[in-house]
Amino acid sequence: MRQAEIASKDKIEALVEGKLPDHDVKELIRLAPKDKDRFWKYLEILQSKVPWKDKILLRISDHLFIVASEGGGRVVKCDCGHEFDDYRVNWKFNARVYVRRTREEMAEVISVEESILNPNIVEMREFYCPGCFAQLAVEVVPVGYPPLFEIFPDLDTFYRDWLGAPLDNEDPGWYQEKTAELTSQWSKEG
Amino acid sequence: MGVGYKDKTLREMLGEKDRLFAETGCIYGLKELELVENDPVTLMKFQMRLVAACTNARETAKLVSASPVALQMGEVLFMVATAEGDVVSSSHGLIGHIQCIPFIVRSMIELGFENTDGIREGDIFSTNDPLYGSPHGSDCYTLIPVFYDGELISWAVGFNHIMEVGGIVPGNLSALSPTAFTDGFLYPPMKTGEDFRQHQWWELLWMRRTRMGGMNILDDKMRVAGAMAIRGKVLEAVEEFGADYFRKATKEILERERRQYIETIKTQAVPGKYQTLKLTPVRYKGTVGKLFPNSDRDWLVHMPMETTIESDGTLTPDLEGLTSEAEFHCNMFPHGTKAMASLGLWPMFAHTATTNTALAYMTDYKIPLGSMSNPMNPFTGTSMGTGVLGAYAQQYHHVFSYTYFARGFLEECFARSPNVAGYGIDGVFGDGERWAGGNFSLIGGDSTGGQPYKDGEPCLSAITNPESDIGETELYEFYEPTGLNIGRKLVPNYCAHGKYRGGLGMVMCQLITQPGQHLTMAVFSSTSSETGTSARGWCGGYPGLGTVCYFLHDTNMKELLEKGLPYPRDFVEAREMLKDDTLKAGSVDLYPADSPNVPCKDGDLFILGAHANSGWGDPVEREYAHLEEDLRYGWLTTDVVEKIYGAISDGDGKIKVSESDARREEMKKKRAERSVDGKEWWKEECQKLLQKQFDPDVYAMYADCMKYQKFRDRMMSVWQLPEDYQL
Repeated sequence: MRQAEIASKDKIEALVEGKLPDHDVKELIRLAPKDKDRFWKYLEILQSKVPWKDKILLRISDHLFIVASEGGGRVVKCDCGHEFDDYRVNWKFNARVYVRRTREEMAEVISVEESILNPNIVEMREFYCPGCFAQLAVEVVPVGYPPLFEIFPDLDTFYRDWLGAPLDNEDPGWYQEKTAELTSQWSKEG
Repeated sequence: MGVGYKDKTLREMLGEKDRLFAETGCIYGLKELELVENDPVTLMKFQMRLVAACTNARETAKLVSASPVALQMGEVLFMVATAEGDVVSSSHGLIGHIQCIPFIVRSMIELGFENTDGIREGDIFSTNDPLYGSPHGSDCYTLIPVFYDGELISWAVGFNHIMEVGGIVPGNLSALSPTAFTDGFLYPPMKTGEDFRQHQWWELLWMRRTRMGGMNILDDKMRVAGAMAIRGKVLEAVEEFGADYFRKATKEILERERRQYIETIKTQAVPGKYQTLKLTPVRYKGTVGKLFPNSDRDWLVHMPMETTIESDGTLTPDLEGLTSEAEFHCNMFPHGTKAMASLGLWPMFAHTATTNTALAYMTDYKIPLGSMSNPMNPFTGTSMGTGVLGAYAQQYHHVFSYTYFARGFLEECFARSPNVAGYGIDGVFGDGERWAGGNFSLIGGDSTGGQPYKDGEPCLSAITNPESDIGETELYEFYEPTGLNIGRKLVPNYCAHGKYRGGLGMVMCQLITQPGQHLTMAVFSSTSSETGTSARGWCGGYPGLGTVCYFLHDTNMKELLEKGLPYPRDFVEAREMLKDDTLKAGSVDLYPADSPNVPCKDGDLFILGAHANSGWGDPVEREYAHLEEDLRYGWLTTDVVEKIYGAISDGDGKIKVSESDARREEMKKKRAERSVDGKEWWKEECQKLLQKQFDPDVYAMYADCMKYQKFRDRMMSVWQLPEDYQL
């Protein structure tokens, strides 16, 4: 009963929105054991906030979700509705990209001049959604560094073994990264 | 005949433990947990007895020390271990070091102490040698074997981080040390005392091999005192519960904890692969070249990690691509990296009733041989491997914050990129007395990153110690009377931005007073402003900001103070006062991280900003109410709020909503105008790689890291480089 109250759907929704009072957040942190149905509540909350119907399988960023698409695929989709690609491809390759390469460009977003990065050794990459131009990720890496694949989930194991609710189209291939297939295709296209 | 259970040798017991885990996947082969299942109340009572023993040892023994690092910051730890070296329970404190004890005991067993010097009742063993289990020389361990009825039934262990280790640079975290021979006083495992008393030669070594012998001897006495107190409590527990129960219960606790950790991961995380990265430059060029020609260069240190949360809930952290070992200060042996990295695991899921070494049985590290975290040179420099490679702790914060976010446990996210910054100091007072010290109090007051539901906090946490504490400035001034603290504060705008911004960084500002004949200071930091706190922010937030270190020499500070005029309290105030000429300085040194030994004079200013943490989410989505609060408290200034957040203030701290909404739309249009499609950007990057258009440090980094097959494969496949591509 106590758990149901502390981790009610309303409170989780307030947490997602950044509106949950500190006291309630602390109660959630102290909650042991955690509510077993958290993930399902979370999905319901997230699904209610997006303007499209595709079933959310996992949230992977503030705006991005892996969704089950109509054709049986699993794709990355922005809450604005823009679809990226198969989730096995690092979505950053299908984003819009702006790279800050000079001190002046970096100074636009770093508000203490002593902390501006050394543009000789790193660049600052900003990845935007091509649909709504929300800023989805920022990387600080040397030129030529492979974009970080921040989360590549093993969805079938997660749903089948950890949640006890296997997905319809299970296949070991869903846990094989496909980024190189995209870049190989780009390479051939020239 | 050995000293262990039923006259077994410790080597036999260790071998049996390894075999049982390999065969069963359970610690000590314990598939069934009889005590846990049949009488959990008694087991909890027993366990709490051990926890209390360790906590009591810490709280009383630290009063023996004179070091503010031990006494106030609490950088000490006391532990109970099994005969085989597994820590079953510990006090609060520097809990990463729990993971080192199994390696140290293993080293002692493999070095054959049982057959040479012997392991007897009353013996005291000591070590701080990185080759044998310590992360670096500042980390000192004292082990007392606990005998019951002739059997070595347990180890009582005291540990602390000392203030001065006698290296080429004063202090305890030297950012300049090409080899073990410049790291300072390193002692492999050795019997330093008998009959429960340390030998006299041991004290003499501290006096002659470090710059703060008296302080270090008191720290040693603290470790012995605490370990002795634990020994007494362990023997009481054995008397009360029985030796058989002690042996069985300590092992069951470990296996129960391992299962608990895995259960937590399965409940809150998502299996899969998570890529993280930290970069930091190391600058030696022109510093030690004539003495150490292999060190006459700079490095861009590359610390990647791909963490797999396996289907069974265990972790496989893969460090392949890590920079190779080199003649610099930031190497560390594998056990050290595992220990430091564990600092990112405790807060994320391993916070159970007691801290122990069960973590080691659910993490399968891949650390390439020859890398800076698995060096082949036994004399490699390690004085600050803890700080630099300690970044693997932050990578766990990244991994678990992301996975908890994905699963919906936002309250468990703890996004942060901690830093290790401070300084070593030595000098000669006017009367000829030599002195030295070290200060890393800023480590105790880290900011945290923005979380998925709130801003980061300033001065909240310490990566090293769950009980963060920056200590008392007055006590530091007692030991370091040349540094008068005239500022210790948060700096406006010193944070990374996001929908939820990072916590502001803290800064210390000291006026150098009456240094006497000579004074030098050397700053260390694991987070350079050249590269920031990490290689990425969170979900569109910006990565955190690095260290800022100023030395201002020959200032007019005395004149300002005598006339009662304003004086600077942080680096922004100092910079602005220099610009308007109210503060004058003969010369200004600005370092983005480490400094060399910098001579300081009376009236100089020393200012150190540790770092500031990352933001979470797109800054243009930050609520206006939060920005109004930032303006009201002075955390952000109006120009920053407008430029980065697209929010226009009315001059009285209110955001003008319609104008700001329009500004944010303009900012998004600008993003559309100046960004390119991923494919176009990919082509540009490919061209640069093919033309090898790199800064020399970046070139050297890639050339080194692509020697490791996994990283090379990643580079080749992502960029579709030709098979014969070489750097």
